[in-house]
Amino acid sequence: MTLSDFTSFLMKNSKTIMEYSENHFTLVLLAVGISLAIWVPVGLLLTKSDKWAARVLALANTIFCIPSLSMFAILVTIPMFGLGRKSALLALVLYAMMPLIRSVYDGVKNVDRNVIEAARGMGMGTRRILIEILVPLGMPIIFAGFRITVVMTTGIAAIATYIGERNLGRFIQEGLIRSNTPMMVTGALIISVIAIGLDTILGLVEKRIVPKGLRISR
Amino acid sequence: MKWENFRFALFEKAPEALWEHSLIVVITITLAILISVPLGIFLSRPKFKKFGLVTLNILNLLQAVPGIAVIALALPILGLGMKPAIVALLFQSLLPIVRNTIAGLLGVSSDVKEAASGMGMSQRRILLEVELPLAVPIILSGIRTATVYVVSIGTLASLIGAGGLGNLIMGGLALFRPEYLLVGAGLGALMAIFLDRMINYLEHRITPPGMGAE
Repeated sequence: MTLSDFTSFLMKNSKTIMEYSENHFTLVLLAVGISLAIWVPVGLLLTKSDKWAARVLALANTIFCIPSLSMFAILVTIPMFGLGRKSALLALVLYAMMPLIRSVYDGVKNVDRNVIEAARGMGMGTRRILIEILVPLGMPIIFAGFRITVVMTTGIAAIATYIGERNLGRFIQEGLIRSNTPMMVTGALIISVIAIGLDTILGLVEKRIVPKGLRISR
Repeated sequence: MKWENFRFALFEKAPEALWEHSLIVVITITLAILISVPLGIFLSRPKFKKFGLVTLNILNLLQAVPGIAVIALALPILGLGMKPAIVALLFQSLLPIVRNTIAGLLGVSSDVKEAASGMGMSQRRILLEVELPLAVPIILSGIRTATVYVVSIGTLASLIGAGGLGNLIMGGLALFRPEYLLVGAGLGALMAIFLDRMINYLEHRITPPGMGAE
């Protein structure tokens, strides 16, 4: 495969690429949005009970182990979900459980006890402590979890092409079937560039978001 | 769902697929450990710290590449079959082990190292008898991450002809046979969970007394 194969493929298929990218991003955005809405509150709740935290984290860990193709395949056999977006979304949300809950839990738990005591001594309520102390101070760890979730979701979403999602993974799927190397490589490169790009951008944001006193050298 | 199909998938198809899958995982992880642990030890020595940062950044980038893309890129470069799949998987299983080896070795408290050198131990003996044993739980945790990852992406390796449980799943999706899907996917999930638990257990067993789990 030469560079001209690659560029001619890009030129000829720009419309399809746009369509697939749009689908890809919609799925990722939906999945990450739903995951944040569910798992961040769950993570915060779990900081109240160590017993439940251990149980839920063990469950999340177990789910996280399941190979992504297996997860999609299992969900497809459940009549309520079947082929398509519902299964894809559910799988992605289940995968996000581990990094999000874990990071929220760790982030909040890592906050210095003395700081919380001091806040309580200043007369802050539980709610204000949560919003003004725990979340901002736990932010570096929470954001790292968010970053992992986004990058991972982008990658796994591509596999959802096998259960009927028309997204960037489809280039790889069809390229493999038709032994169309330019198609396959283009698909793989686009996804890789997006994943690496997101990882880098979120990494930069991560550095910005950390309160000055907390910056850790990497 | 037909029992006949289920039986066929489980007893006729699954043993071979499971064997191929285990082979992929065992070979990849063995090679990954053989490469990453020495690399991690090398990079954690103070002399090579700068080099270590660069290597870690490159491995980090590689890690961000989605598994399915790695498999797709491996095909035109390396060809079809089990060997290319193993090479592709190897690339991505290095990072967790290298990172945890470095983290584990750097995490050994300098007091302990000083005490060891005060007792007259050579650098080499300190590494082998003090630093490595103390870092083993963290290294194992990296190996666990890599193993689960390889089992997972291993299912995609069937796309480039490596066989394994992915064959059953892909066949099931193509023919829409839920029995094949359940057997292939179920075994894949069980394998990943089993290996995760097993290495996790090892991690706890091997942690030197006195270090305690955090």
